[in-house]
Order: sequence, then C-alpha cells, then structure tokens
Amino acid sequence: MKHVDPFVGLTLATSLLILAFILLPLVEMVVQPSVGDLYRTLLDPDVRRAILLSLYTSGLAAIISLLLGTPLAYLLARRNFKGRKLIESAIDLPIMIPHPVVGIAILSMAGRGHWLGGLLHDLGVTIMGSITGIVVVLTFVGLPFYLNTVKNGIEAIPPRMENISRSLGAGMTATFLRVTLPLAWRSMLVGAIMCMARAISEFGAVVIVAYHPMTAPVMVYERFTAYGLKYSQPVAVWLILTCLILFLALRVFSLPRRST
Amino acid sequence: MKMKTLVLFLLAGFCLCLTAPALAEEIKGKVVIFHAGSLTVPFAEMEKRFEAAHPGVDILREAGGSTKMARMISELGKPADIMASADYKVIDNTLIPAHADWNVRFASNQLVLCYTDKSKAASEINPDNWYEILARPGVIWGHSDPNLDPCGYRSLMVLQLAEKYYRQPGLYDKLLANRPLKNVRPKSVELVSLLKTGNMDYAWEYLSVAVQHDLKYVKLPSEINLGDYKFDDYYKQAKVQVTGKSPGKFITRTGMSCTYGLTLIKSAPNPRAAEAFLAYLLSPDGGLAILKEMGQPPFEPAWVTDEAMKKRLPVPLRGLVEVRN
Repeated sequence: MKHVDPFVGLTLATSLLILAFILLPLVEMVVQPSVGDLYRTLLDPDVRRAILLSLYTSGLAAIISLLLGTPLAYLLARRNFKGRKLIESAIDLPIMIPHPVVGIAILSMAGRGHWLGGLLHDLGVTIMGSITGIVVVLTFVGLPFYLNTVKNGIEAIPPRMENISRSLGAGMTATFLRVTLPLAWRSMLVGAIMCMARAISEFGAVVIVAYHPMTAPVMVYERFTAYGLKYSQPVAVWLILTCLILFLALRVFSLPRRST
Repeated sequence: MKMKTLVLFLLAGFCLCLTAPALAEEIKGKVVIFHAGSLTVPFAEMEKRFEAAHPGVDILREAGGSTKMARMISELGKPADIMASADYKVIDNTLIPAHADWNVRFASNQLVLCYTDKSKAASEINPDNWYEILARPGVIWGHSDPNLDPCGYRSLMVLQLAEKYYRQPGLYDKLLANRPLKNVRPKSVELVSLLKTGNMDYAWEYLSVAVQHDLKYVKLPSEINLGDYKFDDYYKQAKVQVTGKSPGKFITRTGMSCTYGLTLIKSAPNPRAAEAFLAYLLSPDGGLAILKEMGQPPFEPAWVTDEAMKKRLPVPLRGLVEVRN
C-alpha cells in the first residue's frame, strides 16, 4: 500500500480552505446580479466614468511610485547605512495607518490653515475634491508596496554584476540603466502592479479627500447606502472584472521567457 | 426525603417570582440609534448620561444624512431600534408604515451660512451681501448632498427663497454655477472639518452645528432660514428634486420649517431599552434640556399630529408628548 505523507494531505486541505475563503465571497458577488442589471450598469455613463477614473488615478500613482520610488528602493537594497531599519519601518507606515486617518492627515495639510496648503492654494493647486488630491492619496497608500517589491527584487541581483560594470569604466547612471534595470524590470513591473492594485481599491482615504470626482469604490459605497445592494453590486462586479483582466495581462507579460 | 425536595423546589420558585419584577426593572443590552449628522453632539452627550444612569445599556449610534440612514433601514434591512431624522418627512415617506407606526416631532433648527476667520472675505460678509460673496469666483462654498441629507436640499431651498426675498431673479442658478460638485459632501457635518482646515470658505449648516463646533456664521432673515413654522407658506415656494429609491427615480421636496422627527423601529431588537432611552430623550430635564443647551431649540413638549398617533405611542412616552394639529 502506498504511504502518503500526511504533510501532503494537510497542505492540500489548508490550501483548499484558503482558496475557498478568498474565492467564495467574490464568486457570490459576481453571480448575484442579473445579466440585465450588469448590462444596464455598464451602459450608465457615471459608472464607466468612475471605473475609468479609478484606473487612471491608480495607474498614475503606480507610475509616480516607479519614477520617484525606484531610487529609494535601490538605496535600501544596496547600501547599509545608519538608520536604514528606521526608514524601512517608516515606509511601512502607510500600510498600518487607518485609511480615514490618511485622508484626514492629507486634507489637514491641504487647506488654507496650513502653510503648505496655503502655498498650494496660492499656486492654484487644489487637493480637496480634485484628481490631484486623489492621486496624492493613492500614491501615499501604494508606495510601500512598490518600494518593498522592488527593494527585494534588486537585492536578488548580485551586486557583482554592477561592480564589474563599474570596474570596466561605466558611470553609476550607465550601470544602473544598462545592468541593473534590465535585470530588475520584472520586479519593478510587479511592484507597479501591486501599487496599482492597492491604489485602485482605496476607499477610506479617498472618500475624505474627494467625494467628487467619484472613484469606483466610492461609487459602490454611495450606491449601497443610497439605493441598496442591487444597484451597487454590478458596479463592484465591473470593477473586479476590469482589474482582473488588467492584472492578469500584466502578470503574463512579466513572466520570464523559458530558456531553450 | 421526597417531601423535602418538593418544599425546596417550591421555595426556590417563590424566590424567583419575588426577584422577577426586580429583574424586569433592569434595562440592559444594546440600543442601536440611527440619527442625523446634526444630532451627533447632543446625542453623544445623551448617550454618556444615559449609560451612566443605566450601566447595563450600550448605546450604539450611527450618524449620516437622514435620508441615507432611513434607507439603510428600509432598503438594506439594517437592524436599528430608533431613527431620529432632521426632517420628520423622511420618516413619513420612507419608514411609515412598513417599519414604523408613529412620528414624534421633537426639535427645530434653522440654516445659517458658516465660515471661519480663514475664509475668503470673512471680514466683510454680513446678512446683506452674503449672496454676492458666494457668487464670487475663487470663493469655495458648499453644502451636503441633497439626495442623502435633508440639510442638502434645505440649503438649496434657502437659495431659492433668497432669490425671491432679495428680488434677484436668476440668483439661484448664478450661485449654483459657482458651486462645483466637488464641494458637495454626503453628510453636512463633514463640511465642518473642511471649513476648519481651510479647504472650504463657506458652508451651509444648521445653527446648532455652528454653535456646537464654534464656527462663525451669518444669520439669515426668518423668511428664508427655514427656522420658523409661521413662515411655512413662504417656505412652500421652494422646491428641490432629489433622487428616489432607485437610479432614475426622483422625488420633489417642498420647503418647510426644519422639524426633526423620531420613531421606534417596528423590528427593533431591544424595544424596552429603546423606549427607556426615548423617554429620557423626550423629558424636559433630560434630552430636551441637552438639545437646548447645545443651541438646538426643542419642542417643549414634543408633539404628534393626532390623537390616534398618540395612542400608538409606547406607554412610557405618552405623557411626554402632546397633540398639535
């Protein structure tokens, strides 16, 4: 009789449990609305606008994280300096802070009562109720996900490669662009996906800074409280499907090519 | 031996019967109250004092636009014991008769234009020029969502009445043109934090909220501030269209003096403790006194529209409410 290691059974059982835990509520939500409700919701221009706004603002947050966050990720991966652990903990703060608190903090700084807010108002930049404000909030909550992913990705690249490049005469920028980047771009893409995924689902902070223009999560909540489940579920379904397709595509794109 | 156990049982049963009334006196459990955002400060104080007097009770409040809170009960089936609305009509339209049987009017309010010393033109605004300042480009002013909050549609009514009162045709549209959607918030008390952080210059609020949050405000003539029931015929001129039960359906709200209403929900999970709280709320030295000291004039006593409704009230409340036609 074949002896199966109980480890296998245990692992399978708990894995199935976890998968069911994740998939059951989502499947339930997708099948509950009728096809008619889903179609009508897709035709609603407000819904389409909200989903597009969510995609746009979270995409922008991911791009900003990529452009401005990569240097910090590189620094944390390569250099060991005093206070490094402190900075790494600080980067994780946006994950821990309750979302409404994030919104309140940003809103307090954005008003005329604050020196920075006063300056922004004089320059004509509004944070409250604007796309700028939404992107600021989404970048704040998405940055840790980008930074941690890319930091780990760069740490996995042997520094030897960069050292060889430098020893052969290439400057720091050239080394980064021609050696590090080609090896790190997959983790940067995954980091950007994580950042965008986190940003697109943000609600608590966004609803405080900007109720209008409405992102998709805010619309789901507004419809839920104003009209009920029947009118909010279809919006949630379309948002989930859109994100699923987008992230699946990006992940497939980032798969390493099989070596011959 | 058998006799002894029988006597013991009878004795135990007798003692239980003695203590049963005492147990019945004790009020305990959770009481869920859905209420208007503008009632937050006075209700928080009532909660504190009531819980101190009845340690077994845990009052759980949830505040929001009254329309939204009522729909949570009627459309979403969220469990609640009490509903207190900034507009009694919300209870009449949304909760009676399926979720409530009666509607007690317990307080009034009026609308004022709030601001802080950080607001633009704060030093020059007064009851005669406020509508000119609100029309100025660069002035950020807002109100709550008329679809979710009575304060929202009441703000719009004030503007409509202002157009008639100050004899300025087109004023309503002119003012709304200077109020982009981003200045509309679901709950009126959210506007307070926007004012205080300097993100908004002027906001339409109830007088009680302005007083409770230490805001500066412009008081308006009784003809337009929706605060005096004697001007109900003048207020009737204002009409605002708001969304109905589903997207695409609309209801028209007609101007009337601010009258707050409350009711006990039929499917209340804890009716006894809820009735005790309502009795406290409606007593002149209990909740009504708290409302008065916080800048919101209560009706003393609270009232209902007819004798039949008074008979439907729970027994502890009948003595605290009068009939007014």
